[in-house]
Amino acid sequence: MKYTIKRLLGLIPILLAITFLSFGMMRLAGSDVVEQKMFNTGQVVSEAQLQAAKAELGLDRPFIIQYGSWLNNLLHGDMGVSYVSGKNVFDSFVEKLPATLYLTVASIFLTVIISIPLGIISAVYKNKIWDYLIRFLSFIGNSLPNFFVSLVLMYILSIKLKLFPIISKEVSLQSVAMPAITLAIAMSAKYLRQVRATVLDELGKDYILGAKARGVKFSITLWKSVMRACLVTIITLLALSIGSLLGGTAIVEAIFMWDGVGKLAVDAINMRDYPIIQAYVMWMAIIYVTVNLVTDLSYRLLDPRIRLEDAAHE
Amino acid sequence: MKRIRRVLAVTLAMMMAVAALTGCGSGKTDASKNGAASTGTKVFTFGDTTFNAENEEPTIDPHSAYCGWPCVRYGVGETLFKFNDSMELEPWIAESYENVDELTWKIVLKDGVKFSNGKACDAAAVKACIEDLVEVHERAAGDLDIASIEADGNTLTIKTNSSKPTLINYLCDPYGCIIDVEAGNENGIVVGTGPFVATELVTDDHINLVKNENYWNGEVKLDEVKVLTITDGDTLALALQNGDIDAAYGMAYASYPIFENDDYQFTSTATSRAFYCQMNYNSPVIKDDAVRKALAMGIDKESFVNTLLSGYGYVGQGAFPESFTFGGQNVKTESYDPEGAKKLLEEAGWVDSDGDGIREKDGKTLTIKWVSYPSRQELPLLAESAQATLKDIGFDVQLNVTADHGTIVAEKDGWDVYAAAFVTCGIGDPMYFFTTHCFDDSSKNRGGYHSDELQELADKMNATFDKDERSQIAIDMQQQILDDNAFIFCSFLKMSMISKSNVTGLKAWPSDYYELTADLDIE
Repeated sequence: MKYTIKRLLGLIPILLAITFLSFGMMRLAGSDVVEQKMFNTGQVVSEAQLQAAKAELGLDRPFIIQYGSWLNNLLHGDMGVSYVSGKNVFDSFVEKLPATLYLTVASIFLTVIISIPLGIISAVYKNKIWDYLIRFLSFIGNSLPNFFVSLVLMYILSIKLKLFPIISKEVSLQSVAMPAITLAIAMSAKYLRQVRATVLDELGKDYILGAKARGVKFSITLWKSVMRACLVTIITLLALSIGSLLGGTAIVEAIFMWDGVGKLAVDAINMRDYPIIQAYVMWMAIIYVTVNLVTDLSYRLLDPRIRLEDAAHE
Repeated sequence: MKRIRRVLAVTLAMMMAVAALTGCGSGKTDASKNGAASTGTKVFTFGDTTFNAENEEPTIDPHSAYCGWPCVRYGVGETLFKFNDSMELEPWIAESYENVDELTWKIVLKDGVKFSNGKACDAAAVKACIEDLVEVHERAAGDLDIASIEADGNTLTIKTNSSKPTLINYLCDPYGCIIDVEAGNENGIVVGTGPFVATELVTDDHINLVKNENYWNGEVKLDEVKVLTITDGDTLALALQNGDIDAAYGMAYASYPIFENDDYQFTSTATSRAFYCQMNYNSPVIKDDAVRKALAMGIDKESFVNTLLSGYGYVGQGAFPESFTFGGQNVKTESYDPEGAKKLLEEAGWVDSDGDGIREKDGKTLTIKWVSYPSRQELPLLAESAQATLKDIGFDVQLNVTADHGTIVAEKDGWDVYAAAFVTCGIGDPMYFFTTHCFDDSSKNRGGYHSDELQELADKMNATFDKDERSQIAIDMQQQILDDNAFIFCSFLKMSMISKSNVTGLKAWPSDYYELTADLDIE
């Protein structure tokens, strides 16, 4: 409990640092929302109008004052309004979260059920036909960019097989399938190699030979010993993926018209919509700290060696 | 054998899990098909790449930003007058107008025009709408410069603060959609006089429309319309192929061949969105008249349009397309002539003394810093095309096609040629392009171009109300900037909408303002 509170308190300086850095970096990028709007619409405005529009949003003030003002509002529970849509930032962000969470859960679920069995099969049948086939598929999966996989899936599953609509009209099991498969293909291709390597490492250890010598069935050794030992590695990998997926996947979201936070963030960056960008940056920081915390805690549950080591230190 | 069975069992389990995700797949696809569905309701689904907050179109309230565009495009609002195929004015909600004196305009509205809520659209309602517009919309207030409005029955009298020969044109801008301001704008939805009524709007996602049962101008053929914001070009193409949408706006040229068959149809028109090059008079190289002329002679516009754009564009001559009365057919400009350009440069002292293919003069190489941006698919192609043809003449064209072009162009010595896209005649009046690009105080006169002759012509234009006379002055003004080689107009956008073959009444207009009308139907 103490450990958890300590980690959560550590979030405060992280948030301060990261929001300050992102605030500064966006300004270093040049241009601002007023200029971006003017360019996108071909709008022609005088220098005076331009400055007035900037002043209205407070963009004419020194950087540090702008940051201080934003931070002050945040501490009062006000994340501001989007410069582009004029909507409340918190509401806009929360509105997009269910879609992102749904896509994260679906793609992680698919990744787990694809990569773990295939990784194990590949390790158990090392240098056999199954191993070669799985590694070949993994190579292909790793090589294909997400946008290409998306288009291929759309073409096959929608245009040819008529299984899904191209346009998702709602957040549903059916509409999440294609974006989730797209993400799962890339992640599975990467993870099954990791799973294979970890399982192979375990299979080479002495206790496996000992178990075999004592007549323990291979399947029991595999599931009860090897898999358990591999779980820490697998969970670390998944934790990293969950973090990045919760941050949104802009390309996949844009292609499948999946209304998540990734697309929101990229649009906000393009338009220099600072309040949205700041909200996104905070979200990402919270995700990573939380996911890492949960992962660390899960190690203690899954691996008795870590638990015992910690107890010895205490 | 046992192991193989296990492998198969695991594989089967994985397939079942995937099947669980994809379950009931085909059912929804069938249900999502559009058109005259089995229910008898005619539903039309339209995919559009432009309806989003990034384009300043988060809603359809014409009194906010550029939201008038979706308002008029999707048939919710209508303006007093509209532009026809030649970008000339014709009546819409209004019947006629009279220019009483330099500052006074009398507009007579048609009888029987109603808002979709059944309220009469009379002069009082129009007055309330325009007064609200100029109060909250800075751009409209500046364009219209209205001093007062009087309403009497169906007659509206507008007085302006200064002489405004183009007042009626400005009232055709999408911000001029007449809406019932008393009905409010809840969630950005307004009440207009058009054939459709908005029922649901989610920014960056969709807008749902239904037939306006009170429409004043004939029977509306469709019952429902769904407009979907689809930002990805490939998704738009696949959605049309799959039948998820009935028509699309903003399709990438690369996807056009997929639809060039009997199952689909195109409606296309030349718009005044020009792809042009602007010269930087602050650059010592560009100040040389021969260099500017050689640049104009060294860009192969025909090949650019016919080969690189696969014919999806129109070759540019002047600032306006040939469909306009003051269009490019009336002006003379340099044609592609590489040999002539070489000779011209030789005469001006630009010679290739070291044999590297690039000309020099007084120790300076003929290097052109070409700045452009990638968000318009034509511009990177134009840059590459110009680089290749100009190299043959002896130019070293250094391309910088970047989203950060604004920062570079802001530096006086950071560029030589800026290639951009601009709607030169959005309101049917030619003065707009010159006002924004060609005078000392023009906000887009990035290269510091100045011409006394042009200024004189502009003064004459500002005092001229007669349409034909204005057209002639516009031609003279174009000729002036072309003679100076201050701008090179390479091509104009051929705007196309693609629809399924069972769609009727969908038409592309040069103004790019009108899309969904009462005549739109699906068989």
